[in-house]
Amino acid sequence: MAKDLISVEGMDCEDLREIMDLARDFEEGRLHGTLSGKTVCLAFFESSTRTLVSFDLAARRCGADVVSLSEKGSSISKGESLADTVVTLDMLGADAIVLRHPAVGAAKLASRHTSASIINAGDGCGQHPTQALLDLYALSDSLGGFDELEGTRAVIAGDILHSRVARSVIPAFQTAGVEVALAAPKTLLPLEAEVWNLPILDSVDEALEWGADVLYMLRLQKERMTGALVPSVAEYTKFYGVNKRHLRAGLKVMHPGPVNRGVEIAGDVVLDEASLIAAQVGAGIGVRSAVLALATNAVEAGVAA
Amino acid sequence: MKAPNTRSGESRELVIRGAHVLDPPSGLDGMMDVKVSDGRIAEVGIGIRGSREIDADGLHLFPGFVDVHAHWRSPGQEHKEDIESGAAAAAAGGFTSVVMMPNTDPVVDKPIVVSGLAKRISEESRVRAYITAALHVGLKGERLTEMRLLKEAGAFCVSDDGLGTQSAGVLRNAMLYAKSAGLPVILHCEDHTLSTGVVHDGAHAALAGLPGIPASAEDVATATGLILAAETGARVHITHVSTELSAALVGFFKDKGDISSDTTPHHLTLTDELVSTLDGMYRVNPPLRPDDDRDGVGGALRDGVLDFVATDHAPHASEEKDLPLEEASPGFLGHEMAFPALYTELVTGGKLSLPRLVEAMSCAPGRWVGGSGSLTAGSPADIALVDLSEEWTVNRDTMASKSSNSPYVGKAMASRIVGTIVGGEIVHDIHDIFSGAKFGIRA
Repeated sequence: MAKDLISVEGMDCEDLREIMDLARDFEEGRLHGTLSGKTVCLAFFESSTRTLVSFDLAARRCGADVVSLSEKGSSISKGESLADTVVTLDMLGADAIVLRHPAVGAAKLASRHTSASIINAGDGCGQHPTQALLDLYALSDSLGGFDELEGTRAVIAGDILHSRVARSVIPAFQTAGVEVALAAPKTLLPLEAEVWNLPILDSVDEALEWGADVLYMLRLQKERMTGALVPSVAEYTKFYGVNKRHLRAGLKVMHPGPVNRGVEIAGDVVLDEASLIAAQVGAGIGVRSAVLALATNAVEAGVAA
Repeated sequence: MKAPNTRSGESRELVIRGAHVLDPPSGLDGMMDVKVSDGRIAEVGIGIRGSREIDADGLHLFPGFVDVHAHWRSPGQEHKEDIESGAAAAAAGGFTSVVMMPNTDPVVDKPIVVSGLAKRISEESRVRAYITAALHVGLKGERLTEMRLLKEAGAFCVSDDGLGTQSAGVLRNAMLYAKSAGLPVILHCEDHTLSTGVVHDGAHAALAGLPGIPASAEDVATATGLILAAETGARVHITHVSTELSAALVGFFKDKGDISSDTTPHHLTLTDELVSTLDGMYRVNPPLRPDDDRDGVGGALRDGVLDFVATDHAPHASEEKDLPLEEASPGFLGHEMAFPALYTELVTGGKLSLPRLVEAMSCAPGRWVGGSGSLTAGSPADIALVDLSEEWTVNRDTMASKSSNSPYVGKAMASRIVGTIVGGEIVHDIHDIFSGAKFGIRA
């Protein structure tokens, strides 16, 4: 893996497999303490629960010194620019900076100003690469191995337009051999969604007709639930929500969280055995440990096994 | 303009010998001599001699360029640009006349601001500068400005540039009033209910996750502006046309009113592919568009549907551009790289003839401001001397502007502005050809 993880662009199938293998070594306890002596800075300028906590735990369990800063209470709130903040962290000895920021391109900008590794933990509606990696981990686990991803059909449903998760999951899944389709109303798709060259479906029912093995549901943000983009929660849920009726043998349901129960996923589906939501969260620490270790050269790719 | 800085004992006469003179409307196209006397073109022909001569063999001589759209940031944002640096940037780009936009701080919406600007222009600008006053107070699209008083104070035209008037009814009244005040209206066409993003709403916005500005945001407002221009008969200039459809709309309405239009060097040469870099440098409004729009706008300029080029020179300090694209200030430097970029990309690329480029940068905008952009005898001696064979690379550290936000930084250019003359005064002389150091002044 390169020094920075800004997006999954440029990764090939073997790169993904290596991260998965290394993540498994961390998860199963074969690797530990690999980041001892390293400093990881968690710079989260936008709220986060699971991403922040799992990066924090991943870094600590690997023995890194961890420094956290958020917009509130940091010099960012005093008007310091992102570039200056990154330079400061670099000067204080950060080996890796995990960055969550509300603007697309923040991680890329940060990488131009530091020699520390920049790990993109979400930049606006841009990219969220570690989410896509842990999704691949959870999905391949449930299917019985990384090679089982080849030819699997996944439909990403919901607010593609505003989703950094979709922008990372689409290329990551495709690189791993998964066939991808999208399902969303036009108001929640980019104007030129055909740039992805993927089937665009109009409901969860159509997704099942297309032969989906995986329904990857995106969160519908509250402020978009009613009004100009979607007429009502009821109409959205009827066409783009998954419920018990949709569950058939072998179907997997995924979601990056946090879930709007009863909107994109019915409450009784969240904890159904078809749901990989808990497994996705569970994959976070191992995958993020692997990413931190590879980015900081704490382990060589291919070393573990 | 600054007082003439002629050295004592020198004649006000100058003969520029042997340049390739090009002034399409007057039919001049060939190796000729140009005699300047008392700030005006005295004579253009062969075998002209004078007491002070320079040898311009190998150079091209055009009427000075005229930029009908520039932000010199004064008053209030002088960390980006001021009148002196804006004028220096213009001179370095071969521009001899510039029209300044009113979206400053304070906005140019009161006569006292106009007269203050006029005074500072006379003291600080080495090129001709025209003042655009706001069309509405505070550019808010509500209350009309005191257009007749603004005109008396020195305003040349009116515009809500930077934002655009949002209500068609309000805009219609403003056009009617501007017509009776005798002021041209420059229209920035943008519908804010559609324009909620930061880059063109296309494939690159989709992939990057950047909020998009659809072409319709410009096209809807352009159609509105053109319909109202035709109906009111006001003198209306549609600025920075960036889409193929808006150019076609201009073509449809052109002979239905007193209508003119321009497009910019960057919309003619660059596309939205650049936003995939996520670099704040490439945020500009209207946004860079896809190939089809760039080519459509280029074809419209070539065919004369769009009348001329204006740069939308928009300086920003580095801290306002070195940001994630969504947070960066929109705009590019325009003056210094306009001709070299267009010559390199369009003329050497076979998409635009050199005479049409000179027409679009000098003659047509010169007619729009009146009395500029011509080499006929008696015209102001406003001249650009250009070396079409000089190759150079744009360097951010050598800009005449106070800012360096040019999208062409690092790009190779195939022509260079080597001299600029305004009213007979030398305001730009990059290779010291006028100082006598290189060519020698012959008695």
